[in-house]
Amino acid sequence: MNSIPFITILILALYAGLAQLDAISVQIGPYSPLFGGAVTGLLLGDFQAGLVIGATLQLMTLGVATYGGATIPDFLSGSIMGTAFAIMSGGGTEYGIALAVPIGLLLTQMDILGRMTNVFFQHRADRCAQQGNARGVEIANILGILPWSLTRFVPVFIGLLFGETVVTAINEWIPAWLMNGLKAAGGILPAMGIAILMRYLPLKKFFPYYIIGFVLMAYFSSLFSIMGVSLLGVALAAIYISNKKMTSVGVTAVYGMDDDMEVEIDE
Amino acid sequence: MSNKITKKELNSVFIRNLLGFQWGWNYEKMQGLGYCFSILPALKKIYGNDSEMLKKSMKTHLSYFNTTPAMSHLIVGANIAMEEEIGIEEAEDAIVGLKTGMMGPFAGVGDTIFITIYRAIVFSIAAYLALEGQGIGLLIPLLCGVGVILVRYRFTMLGYTQGKKLAAGVAGQMKDITEAASVLGLMVIGAMVPSVVNATLPVTFSFGEVSLSLQEMLNKIMPGLVPLAVVFFSYWLLGKKGMNSTKLIFVLILLGIIMGNLV
Repeated sequence: MNSIPFITILILALYAGLAQLDAISVQIGPYSPLFGGAVTGLLLGDFQAGLVIGATLQLMTLGVATYGGATIPDFLSGSIMGTAFAIMSGGGTEYGIALAVPIGLLLTQMDILGRMTNVFFQHRADRCAQQGNARGVEIANILGILPWSLTRFVPVFIGLLFGETVVTAINEWIPAWLMNGLKAAGGILPAMGIAILMRYLPLKKFFPYYIIGFVLMAYFSSLFSIMGVSLLGVALAAIYISNKKMTSVGVTAVYGMDDDMEVEIDE
Repeated sequence: MSNKITKKELNSVFIRNLLGFQWGWNYEKMQGLGYCFSILPALKKIYGNDSEMLKKSMKTHLSYFNTTPAMSHLIVGANIAMEEEIGIEEAEDAIVGLKTGMMGPFAGVGDTIFITIYRAIVFSIAAYLALEGQGIGLLIPLLCGVGVILVRYRFTMLGYTQGKKLAAGVAGQMKDITEAASVLGLMVIGAMVPSVVNATLPVTFSFGEVSLSLQEMLNKIMPGLVPLAVVFFSYWLLGKKGMNSTKLIFVLILLGIIMGNLV
């Protein structure tokens, strides 16, 4: 296994720390396992491997989100380390996915630690407000960045620094059947993200659209693409909404409000 | 009684609300610290830097708060309008009522639109393209993210100008948006099943000279049958008591180990 240059380790650890701030604010992208894998791949010279590892983890975790501040596994750090180990050891993308999942699960505790540490800053802010010190309240909130970022920076930094030793040890005693199994598992894990979303979305009410989407890609994947499916989805969504509006106008008319009807149609 | 809020304070509140709303997130008051931090530029302007009113208002806003960050802009905006018009002294009950009354319903709508459906569409398309080896897919979340930032800016301004009135109006409009987005989201994830779940049953039965591949037989029944079965198995498991996504990962890894070692 090749070792990762120290400067790259530092950059990746800083990336993990900063990406967490994206996760708790705009969520524009860097916080996602997809970006984590891609950025790591780019820095270590195998962008394609990073894309595939990141994308698989992304699909697996599509429905896993911190609703109401719940703690979820840290699949961003998992994605960074899994991609790095896969590229440096030449183990392939499945190997990276197989490592990323347990790493992400293991780091769940770090999120809890960060959220707990911030109680300290809340108390500090409470005291400052008592004294009318607005600046102090602001500083307390800004200091809240530290637990968030350090709980991501430190594990990624240590993990990448000592990863070589650990990964070599794993490779020495992992049996072939387990490695094959983990590779197959990498292929089916995206099912989890899809299943969770199906639980959150009104599947029972809108199941016909789910079937349409499935059929298009199962039977016509050579003709269709996901972009094509989404465009069709936009069209069907618009039709659904306009049909619904027509029905409700019809109901109003039945109840003798047809004087208004012409106006509504003109609009 | 107080100084007029200008665009300058609103912009500064918006930026803090966008970036810093959860920096101080903690188990005790959740977004309470971030809420106070975000609204402070407006409070300082209304009450002046050094006043009993500012102290009182800060204490009120440091209390428990939790909602979808994207939706919080509407509440913060409306809150500013109320404090500017009436002041914390008389409006405290109304303001606390607005915050606690709106954060729950807003989280319900906001989590669905800005988290669940947004990810189901934006990040699954991006991940699909990435799986195909197309890095250009990474641009999709970035572009859509800019769109969300613009919406959130609009929310701050809407909240401020519409004040309390808007709660009912927004909830009504959101229903159509949620339904339309659910239609789109379900179509995309239906399409994801055969394209991103890579599950096969590589079993071959041999009867003398004739050998039958199970996977080929299944493909004749319906392409994507095995991925669909795995997805619905996961869906079914998630409906069981005591099941969560972390446990499901272990179940799927076990399933993968079995399927990967079939001959």
